[in-house]
Amino acid sequence: MAENDDLAEIIIGCKRGDASSFSQLVDMYARRCYGYFYRLTGSRDVSDDLLSELFVKLVERINTYKGGAFEGWLFRVASNVFHDYLRGKQRRERMLKAEKRQIESQAVGARQFDKEEIDRLQERLGKLDEDTREVIILRFYSQVSFKEIAAMRSEPIGTTLSKLHRGLKKLRELMEQKL
Amino acid sequence: MNGRGEQEFRELFEKFLDSKEAEQAIEDIRKGEQILIEHPAPEPDEQVVGNIKAEIAKAILRKKATAFRRRAYKAVAIAAAVILLIAVGVKLFEKGNGEPVRIVATSIIPKVVWESGHLADEDADLATLTAEVEEIESEILAVKFGENGGNGFTDLTELEVELEEINSSFWEG
Repeated sequence: MAENDDLAEIIIGCKRGDASSFSQLVDMYARRCYGYFYRLTGSRDVSDDLLSELFVKLVERINTYKGGAFEGWLFRVASNVFHDYLRGKQRRERMLKAEKRQIESQAVGARQFDKEEIDRLQERLGKLDEDTREVIILRFYSQVSFKEIAAMRSEPIGTTLSKLHRGLKKLRELMEQKL
Repeated sequence: MNGRGEQEFRELFEKFLDSKEAEQAIEDIRKGEQILIEHPAPEPDEQVVGNIKAEIAKAILRKKATAFRRRAYKAVAIAAAVILLIAVGVKLFEKGNGEPVRIVATSIIPKVVWESGHLADEDADLATLTAEVEEIESEILAVKFGENGGNGFTDLTELEVELEEINSSFWEG
């Protein structure tokens, strides 16, 4: 309860445009949001950028938060930031495909870079489909109620529940497999 | 998965599955999430966090500057509107100093003529005017088609003068 009161005070400070309140918000949520971005992208550099973008966006949008679960609202913004990134990435990839020779050299470079960076879990997560992966990561890092996650994704609760269940089961099977 | 989360899952799964299957599903989720707990994601560098805080400070300044500009523009617009209102008010006040002008609306056509079904029959002057206008009209047409054999331009000027005379004498009564 005291934690909730503290958070409420911090949010009031943020709405007033107080930099130190935002700083406290960063300290509270940077790790979880970073984990969320990292597990979805597998890249530290991209996660750094997305985390920065998220918090700068919060400055612009904090006044649109009208109460309710703050984590739910925060991760909704985080999810939008991630999807904007994905759309931009897809655009860039389409542009790269137009220049065939360049794409080959760049793709090889990217693959080598990713390989060095990702851990075992990251590699296994990469074997799940994008949508399932996102449900698992959103649920784990946001810690918001499942009903809220279904609402955030605008899909029936049974669908989201089934994706999470099958996804986590599959992830466990993949993790148990030897390399 | 904490106690609250587990309870939520149990309630949800039991809507779709029987209790044994629901229990199995919860167990699958618990084990799956345990993998995520055992493999924590890397944390952001302190430098990255520091940079983010600096970015936030800049963004706050930008936001405040924008809000200030918006308020200033609004104040200027309101001031301009107030000045305009005052100016219009003063102008109206100046005009309003004299006696109010009384406007009387009346018809220049006599009531009998106005209500008559045959205007020319009811009013002798109007009958004369109608006859003269008709005559001039036929003369104009004759000039136009060159039937009268005269000088078109001079004839037209004469007709115009004649029309003027008729017009003024009619209104003089």
